[in-house]
Amino acid sequence: MINIENLTKFYGNNRAVNNISFTINDNEILGFLGPNGAGKSTTMNMIAGYLPMSGGTVKICGTDISKDPVKAKRKIGYLPQDPPVYPDMRVKEYMAFCAGLKKIPRSQRKDEIQRVMELLKITDVKDKLIKNLSGGYKRRVGFAQAILGNPEFVILDEPTVGLDPNQVIEVRNIIRELKKSHSVIFSSHILSEVSEVCDRVVIINKGDIRAVDTIENLERSFGKSLVLHIKVKGSKTKSASIIEMTKGVKEITSIDEEEGGMFSFTTQLDGDAEEIRREMMSELIKNKVDIAEIYTEKPNLENVFIELINRPVRSNRMEELLNDVVPEEKEEK
Amino acid sequence: MFSIYKKELQSFFYTPFAYAITALFLLLFTYMFNVSIGNIEQSTFQFSFTEIFYNVIFYFIFLIPIMTMRTFADERKFGTEVLLMTSPISVLKIVLAKFLANITVFAFMIIGSGLFPIVTAMNGEVVVSQLVCAYIGFFCWGAMYIALGMLVSSFTESSILAGILGELAMFIFLFIDDFSQTEFIAQYPKLQSVMYAFAAQPRFAYFSQGFIRLSDLVFFISAIVVLLAWNFVSIERRRWNRG
Repeated sequence: MINIENLTKFYGNNRAVNNISFTINDNEILGFLGPNGAGKSTTMNMIAGYLPMSGGTVKICGTDISKDPVKAKRKIGYLPQDPPVYPDMRVKEYMAFCAGLKKIPRSQRKDEIQRVMELLKITDVKDKLIKNLSGGYKRRVGFAQAILGNPEFVILDEPTVGLDPNQVIEVRNIIRELKKSHSVIFSSHILSEVSEVCDRVVIINKGDIRAVDTIENLERSFGKSLVLHIKVKGSKTKSASIIEMTKGVKEITSIDEEEGGMFSFTTQLDGDAEEIRREMMSELIKNKVDIAEIYTEKPNLENVFIELINRPVRSNRMEELLNDVVPEEKEEK
Repeated sequence: MFSIYKKELQSFFYTPFAYAITALFLLLFTYMFNVSIGNIEQSTFQFSFTEIFYNVIFYFIFLIPIMTMRTFADERKFGTEVLLMTSPISVLKIVLAKFLANITVFAFMIIGSGLFPIVTAMNGEVVVSQLVCAYIGFFCWGAMYIALGMLVSSFTESSILAGILGELAMFIFLFIDDFSQTEFIAQYPKLQSVMYAFAAQPRFAYFSQGFIRLSDLVFFISAIVVLLAWNFVSIERRRWNRG
């Protein structure tokens, strides 16, 4: 387990990371989400022991990385944003060098290098100079280096950048595979990727943590403010009054007139979306209003992300943050 | 530590680098050797290896920075510094491994020059004790310059700039003795004595005359230790100030 407590980083007077705390559990994939310049790479560099922190602690299985860096770093494999490869080395030389750096016993080196090269599918380029490889291959060589020696924690800073769609899928599968015996911290600004691969996400912006939770919980937290779209044919006033009178409809946010005497209504809901939809449909049918289309728009991670990063932060505590974001949930309880 | 040492050696010997710099060094040595033989005193048929070493030390200003300029600058440029810093190895060991690798290349360079005294000994007589002392002094000076070149390389990510600044720093170090003798500095005796204390040339003079003085050895060793410690501080400092 990695414990991060009150981690802070100043660059001169500029605060890049502000007093953040979270934990990384064993065998989980933790997504690190945030816009560019949010402090993701700085935080990852501090966890990996590259950058010293201005305040706070990072404990890798109880070992403080600033007090005993050598012991702590043994448990970490790190792929920074730019793969740390030597252009004048051949892939196999580079892997042998990294195996030595990570102090893998000599007797196991050959097999271990073979294993990671096969996993990352770089065996066919092992005799090539790294400078002659494509960007995608360089990234995979960097990735291979990070998982060499089976470290307990693998930190990947945007591992899919620069890869083609097939390689992206492969890398995602490798990350899922890694979960069986490693914990993975994985940063990205591609939301679909994070929601597909990660167990939990940390959303960060301007150095502050905006949320730490599972994707399901985050989506559910926003699920109360559902939006329902309905397209009907008939009287605008009649339809509007029926829609508005339906229990659970908070307000009609927009009405658009469309071709063929159709009207499109967008409504904000407050309650069980499925029940509201059923009730609204039966009321409209009863009043002989033709329904052309009806669907609810569930907020996805993208909405949660945009909402969270744009909100001013008042507190770093998770409970308070969620209450801040969804006060309705608290009222219900 | 050994893996970094090995990797550094590979970067020198798997490329033409080590061979090219050794060839350049030997070319200079051969030139100086020929000049010395050309100027040989007709009455005694004597020439001095010490003089050759003196002259070659001047060319150190160009050779050593070429060797050391990439040491840390390229690690920064290619982003591989992150790999070293996040590996379970201390910064001090990284500095030492790189220093030892540079020293190995330097040793490779000067071993070739051993051919000249051997050929001379086959056709005449060589004062071995003096020659060995000169080699020790020469090696100490080279090691000190390597530590200095590495330090300059840790300041920047441009290896060319590291090379030029290294040349400048080594130039100052080489001629600090002559600077301290100028009229201007002579006006300030305290400054003159401080400058003289840092001068390596008079210390090398003792080695070249066949003397190994403890104070001279301590000077070179402590200069190397201080410069390597400064290397360590410079790298750590940059990590703290990065942004």
